Amino acid sequence: MIKMRDDGFRPKQVLIEREADLQKDATDLSLFVRTSDEEIKKWNRNKITEALLRETDISEDAAKIIAREVEKLIFSLNIENVTAPLIRELTNAKLIEYGLEHIRRQHTRLGVPLYDAREIIINHNKENANVPHGPEATNLTLAERIKKEFALIEVFSQDVADAHMRGDIHLHDLGMIDRPYCSGQNIEYVKKFGLNLPNAISIARPAKHPEVLIEQIIKFSAALQGTFAGAIGWDAFNIFLAPYLVGVDDTRMKQLAQILIYEFAQQAVARGGQSIFSDINLYWECPKHFEDVPAIGPGGKLTGNTYSDYMDEAHRFLQALFEVYYEGDALGRPFFFPKPNVHITEKFFTTEGHEDFLYLISKVASEKGNTYYVFDRGDTAKISECCRLAFQLRESDLEDAKQPWKMRYSAMQNVTVNLPRIAYEAKGDDTRLFEILRERVELVAKAHLQKKAFISKLLNLGKNGPLALLAMELDGEPYYRMRRATFLLGMLGLNEMVQAHTGEELHESNDAFFFGLKVISTMKKLADEMEEKYGIHMPLEQTPAESTAYRLAMLDMKHYPLRATAVVKGDKNRGEIYYTNSTYMNISVPISSIERVKKDGKFHPLIEAGALTHVWLGEHKPAPESIANFVEKTFKNTQNAQIAFSPEFTSCLDCGKVVRGLNENCIYCGSDNIEGITRVTGFFSKINSWNKGKIGELKDRYRDRAI
Amino acid sequence: MFNIKGFIKTSLVDWDGKITSVIFLPSCNFRCPFCHNKELVLNPNEFENISIEEIDSFLLENKDFVDGVVITGGEPTLHKNLPELCKHFKEMGLLVKVDTNGSNPEMLKHLIDQKLIDYVAMDIKAPLSNVKKYCNSTGLEEVNIENIKKSIDILRKSDIDFEFRTTVVPTLHTAEDIAEISRFVGRESKLILQNFTPRNTLNNEFTRIKPYEREELKRMAEIVKGYVKDIKVRG
Ligand code: SF4
Ligand SMILES: [Zn+2]
Repeated sequence: MIKMRDDGFRPKQVLIEREADLQKDATDLSLFVRTSDEEIKKWNRNKITEALLRETDISEDAAKIIAREVEKLIFSLNIENVTAPLIRELTNAKLIEYGLEHIRRQHTRLGVPLYDAREIIINHNKENANVPHGPEATNLTLAERIKKEFALIEVFSQDVADAHMRGDIHLHDLGMIDRPYCSGQNIEYVKKFGLNLPNAISIARPAKHPEVLIEQIIKFSAALQGTFAGAIGWDAFNIFLAPYLVGVDDTRMKQLAQILIYEFAQQAVARGGQSIFSDINLYWECPKHFEDVPAIGPGGKLTGNTYSDYMDEAHRFLQALFEVYYEGDALGRPFFFPKPNVHITEKFFTTEGHEDFLYLISKVASEKGNTYYVFDRGDTAKISECCRLAFQLRESDLEDAKQPWKMRYSAMQNVTVNLPRIAYEAKGDDTRLFEILRERVELVAKAHLQKKAFISKLLNLGKNGPLALLAMELDGEPYYRMRRATFLLGMLGLNEMVQAHTGEELHESNDAFFFGLKVISTMKKLADEMEEKYGIHMPLEQTPAESTAYRLAMLDMKHYPLRATAVVKGDKNRGEIYYTNSTYMNISVPISSIERVKKDGKFHPLIEAGALTHVWLGEHKPAPESIANFVEKTFKNTQNAQIAFSPEFTSCLDCGKVVRGLNENCIYCGSDNIEGITRVTGFFSKINSWNKGKIGELKDRYRDRAI
Repeated sequence: MFNIKGFIKTSLVDWDGKITSVIFLPSCNFRCPFCHNKELVLNPNEFENISIEEIDSFLLENKDFVDGVVITGGEPTLHKNLPELCKHFKEMGLLVKVDTNGSNPEMLKHLIDQKLIDYVAMDIKAPLSNVKKYCNSTGLEEVNIENIKKSIDILRKSDIDFEFRTTVVPTLHTAEDIAEISRFVGRESKLILQNFTPRNTLNNEFTRIKPYEREELKRMAEIVKGYVKDIKVRG
């Protein structure tokens, strides 16, 4: 007896088992189909015809012929088991035989080989440093595998998909093709509307107490995390929380800070065992654009005051928050999330108490490394999210600022250009190099338009679509404001591109450095042209390199072995190779922190969507005054947009002690059951979950006494 | 002309509150078993000299960041031309700090009197009443404790800012030793307790010593708080 069983993925797909005595009597043949309801139905060749007609543009006659051919083929095979994917692939083979290639493409089956599924379920996903291993995490990995294939076949045109597969460009988060990239918003939305989410079982009114408000914000973040691929950021968090904190004493203030940090930090249960990539933006001074905004207080009601009236509460919360960061988790390790972005403006230095606050956050920077210093010079106001992504507020945003719940921003997608490859292809020809750069930026724009079209389609399904949360219209317009979406243009390996093209790395000569600047400013110009041409705002962004630096270096070693070998960084013998992140200089050469901050900073004004320099601390713990000193000088003497100080830790899993520096063994008990904690991309992570390229990068990282 | 063996362009950890560049001078008259600058102490000639021009060019270009220069070693006061080196940087408008083990009070006094330095960090290796312990901590057969005491006195009477530092090693120091050091340096002084790290030590066997936990150092500091102006735990 032959049974056909639906494998649950697509209802028409079948698994056929062949009865042993099949050949004896073909007319007695009875095939059964097991549907997703585990109901058994009789074999029917028309299923193939129907599937072809439903899924493709094939004519009915052709479909029937193909189905008959496939049936003949299956029955002639002397095998014990025939699986649904096999039937589909046999059908595809027939389609090719008949020259129906575009029908075959439409009829593609997505899925995972048994071997891969086993690997994924049993071994650790190294692609994303933030995903722990576990059933939830492997669900995510498996789903992402299929969505990635789906994206490349269905969402993007073939030229875009091929460019990604070849490694000319890298389309980020393909496995999350049905989500926009990241989201930045304001807690006013939660304060005003409570927790009122589509498909929610119960609806919560606006919070009356800060504890409840914080819980609602975290739940909302988790919900958003389910519809975005990247970071969830909250603007001016302490300023907007402040009206809820009137009369809160120090003990309770500290508890509130603990609730916020622990709840965010421990949300690893939220999505595939992945933490919420959360950012909270913080201000010591009240940002100008919020000073006169009427404050919303408990119960979602206007308090009659403006936000500048609550600065005392805003300050006290900040102090409590950084005390909690300073203490770290139960073992004294740093919290990975939420990332505190402290905005430093001109006004910061004239606001009372800023010295003590700068001391406190610098103490945290030295001890735990959490603090991100975001520099908003002149009159620009920024909201920053994700690893290093910041949005500059434009005129229309400042209008929105009067109704802060409207301030919702998103980057739709992030696409990175493989810069070294352009140099390989240009073969030393300047003109050619910039021509290819133009082609690549064009291609990125095309990819963005395709993703935009796809997400728009999902959003248009409204309440009943997969992005219902983003389609909700509590304030009269959809939560996702498409007109405010940005489309990120990332870059990888400027250093290696310049090296391949000029023979020198960025740090090796002024000529090389200026050539690098020319490449990035050209990219910016091209991106602006795309905005004119296609109406999408395409800011440059420092790529969150994670696996990209490794993937593109590997692909170039394959496609351009001679040229790539000369510039790729890392340990080639061990396969631990990478390209230097975005516009960074070689991380393995001794370039002092001062020079890095200054030179990196020269690129930052061009990289509108955020840029960051890491100052490596390693095992060192500078006096907070020294850090504060460095921060102030960076603000005043450079164009650098953002810095963070990055310590390293060894955490012993046997005796529980945590020490600074990366060691092979615990210095207290000698155990090698240890976890290294450091920051390679924008966030802290544990070293045992890294891919090879990142391990190579870590080994190369230049360290000295203090930087 | 200056015998410079090491140059770190940016340091945030060698002078609290300041951004500094650090200059390493070779050789030392001590042999502290926990010393981390083993090569510089034992085989200084294996390092190439770094030209003062190279250092100056960095300092001039980055005067908007660098507050001062830290001269360390080895033992800087062994070098006769240390005053000239300090003067060189002072004339560039930079602050100067010198690290010393306190074995050369004359040089120290000269630097202070001539206003060539702004800050001194002086090591106190063990309680000053216990010659045996001082010898153990410095790896020497005998130590001229009187010179160390003189240096302490010079600093306490000077009008420049200074700190005393003790690297605390479990096999060498007890809480009582720390208390004694604190009592000795007294109320005018700032004392830094530096935690020992068992890595790349002058005496190889010291890599096997398990350091005090930070909490223990903090406890030691807590006990002696009253004896000194200020006490801090570093590392
Ligand atoms: S620790 Fe001791 S041996 Fe090493 S440089 Fe200092 S005084 Fe000399
Ligand atoms: Zn241990």
